Amino acid sequence: MANIVLDQLGFAYPGALEPTLLPLSVEIKDGEAFALLGASGAGKTTLLNLLSGLLVPTTGRILFDGVDVSSQSGSQRNLAQVFQFPVLYESLTIADNLAFPLRARKAVNGFSAADIASRVAKIAGELEIENLLKRKPKTLSLFQKQLVAIGRALMRPDVSVVLLDEPLTAVEPRTKWQLRQSLKRLQEELGVTMIYVTHDQTEALTFADRVAVMADGKILQTASPQEVYEHPAHEFVGFFIGSPGMNFVAIDSATPAPMYAASGVDQSAQRIGFRPEWARLEHPPMTHPLSAVHWLGRVTHCQILGTQDGAPVGITTLASEVGELKVRGAINATVGEEIMVVVDRCVSFCAEHYVATHYAQSSTGQLRNLVGDE
Amino acid sequence: MLRIQNVLLNPGLNCGFDHDFLPGGMTVVLGRNQAGKTNLCRLIAGLSTQAVGELSLNNAPLNKLSPQKRSVAVVFQAFVNYPNWSVQQNIASPMVAAGKDKAYIQSRVAELAAKLGLGELLQRMPNELSGGQQQRLAIARALAKEAQVLLLDEPLVNLDYKLREALALELRSLLDDSDTTVIYTTTDPKDAFTLGDDLLLLEGGNKLQAGAPLSVYQTPKTFAAANLMSDPGINTFTWSSLSDQAFAQQCQTASGVSKRGGVRPEHLFFVAKSEFNAEECVGFDLQVSALETSGDETFVHGVVQASNLGFSDPRLSDTRFSDLGFSDTGLSDTGLRDQPSWVVRSPGMLNFSQGQVLLVAVQKRDILAFGGR
Repeated sequence: MANIVLDQLGFAYPGALEPTLLPLSVEIKDGEAFALLGASGAGKTTLLNLLSGLLVPTTGRILFDGVDVSSQSGSQRNLAQVFQFPVLYESLTIADNLAFPLRARKAVNGFSAADIASRVAKIAGELEIENLLKRKPKTLSLFQKQLVAIGRALMRPDVSVVLLDEPLTAVEPRTKWQLRQSLKRLQEELGVTMIYVTHDQTEALTFADRVAVMADGKILQTASPQEVYEHPAHEFVGFFIGSPGMNFVAIDSATPAPMYAASGVDQSAQRIGFRPEWARLEHPPMTHPLSAVHWLGRVTHCQILGTQDGAPVGITTLASEVGELKVRGAINATVGEEIMVVVDRCVSFCAEHYVATHYAQSSTGQLRNLVGDE
Repeated sequence: MLRIQNVLLNPGLNCGFDHDFLPGGMTVVLGRNQAGKTNLCRLIAGLSTQAVGELSLNNAPLNKLSPQKRSVAVVFQAFVNYPNWSVQQNIASPMVAAGKDKAYIQSRVAELAAKLGLGELLQRMPNELSGGQQQRLAIARALAKEAQVLLLDEPLVNLDYKLREALALELRSLLDDSDTTVIYTTTDPKDAFTLGDDLLLLEGGNKLQAGAPLSVYQTPKTFAAANLMSDPGINTFTWSSLSDQAFAQQCQTASGVSKRGGVRPEHLFFVAKSEFNAEECVGFDLQVSALETSGDETFVHGVVQASNLGFSDPRLSDTRFSDLGFSDTGLSDTGLRDQPSWVVRSPGMLNFSQGQVLLVAVQKRDILAFGGR
């Protein structure tokens, strides 16, 4: 396993006006489950191709355990990959598919037949696919095939990193969690460094120790799942993660400042963001003075998500003086009704790049580097 | 009104169904793959399909009319536009075909393009548009036909989730004030609530249930209907008799040999022993086997621990499912017969560790029970 450092790593296709990946620096710790999350076109695949050696960086270096591997081929880097669709040798049994990476490197690593057999048994046991070992891939379901592909990527005990490119895309939605759970368990037990690329927030937040959220060839934030959800460093992160995403409101100079101060908004903030579940709806007239941030809104849509105590709960969408707002909770207003939106908790953003103020204060030096020059 | 009668959606069925679509409203047709959703759309549009049935629109039979003569517009899952025509020409095409006058076409194209966020893109070709824009164009063209019936067959399924979320709401507000009868097919129960004035549940080519989304959700007639309206799937247990008359009254207890109960994942909640309300709730232990989180919600998968779905804590033993009068739940020795694990859908980002045992409760009013499968 390896500790991986990306040092000012950047990439531009020859002749392209804009770089696909702006120089970025990040350290992925030995044995870490790391996710790259972003929409299509964010630069995730480019970064993955740089890691796997398919592309050569335009700027910067990639270090595996302190060794510069930027100019090494994929096989020299000793990494394993899992793709969107399971890629197996159709003519080989599952056992032989699993054994393949070890046999292929027999000359280099000197694995004996007994070593190989015991490793196959161990990995198959971990993935609970012992009963499939004698079968051929064509008799397996897509789910089982992908399980085997994951197992094969984990066969070599000395693999430096396992790269997974949207590995659950082809799997039936209702069974995805089981495969993800097997993957997560193996990652923890074997202590493998894994880099998982996905556009699905649930996959990234569930799988990873840390998530890097990407957009426009930049990493906007690298933090724990909890941190990216609760303290997005950038408005895009708040918007992209969460369904629906965060509400954003520009701080209007006409609004009394004490209202924001009471809600803990930073003085330097030019916008605030709040999750739909961080706000609640109250019917006017107010029986008590409101110190927290609040606006009057008119309900435009109610989206029921279920019931609680027999009454509908879900997302209420409102039109207000500060724009459209979404509030999650009990649906206690009807379309057209006027109601007060009270914000219990929020994150402050500076207008320049819409970066969270807490983030700007804690790491001003790094900031420009992270968000680039827009 | 669009009325369908004696409809057989898939080959091999022998009992047809009838349905009247809500005039001027949006009906969400919810069903899994192979439920017959696309066959239903093709039947109504007059395209070749294995589905058969009688159709009428405002009491005039439709079956004999060719697709072009039906007042029906369709948007499919795949983005279908005329590739060699500009956005403007694409939107105008149904009106040109109908022989509308030029000035009208021009103003209508501008209006629809503006509504669907294509106003700046009128001179582009379809292949110069993003996926979301291409599907918006297909929708604009369908609206330009000014048909009485608009069929949207999983129109957002090929888009990524952020775009899907935004477009679904856009569609809703776009069609809110029109008097078009809209039929929207989907596999996602969330769409039923987001979009549907009315809901039609299909399974294996059969109509399971229909009605307002909330009423179908609250009073599903069958286990299959309850499960179809649940993502993740509903938690189930089996039972053979129910002695508590008050509770039986509240349940859908039709006759049947094998009876099932169900609890929606969002109706289970974690509770401290001291806060457990035995009057209103039933509780049990759950050993966590996996977590999934999207940030705003966490799905906690686990295995039900105590027998008969009751707390293992003797002080709370009077809150077992068995005390509701369910006997022979099939849960006592082997855990859950039908489903090895249950899932709790809980708001927020929860952090439990694997193997941890948690107290889970459900309000009695939220337990669903069905006779027969």
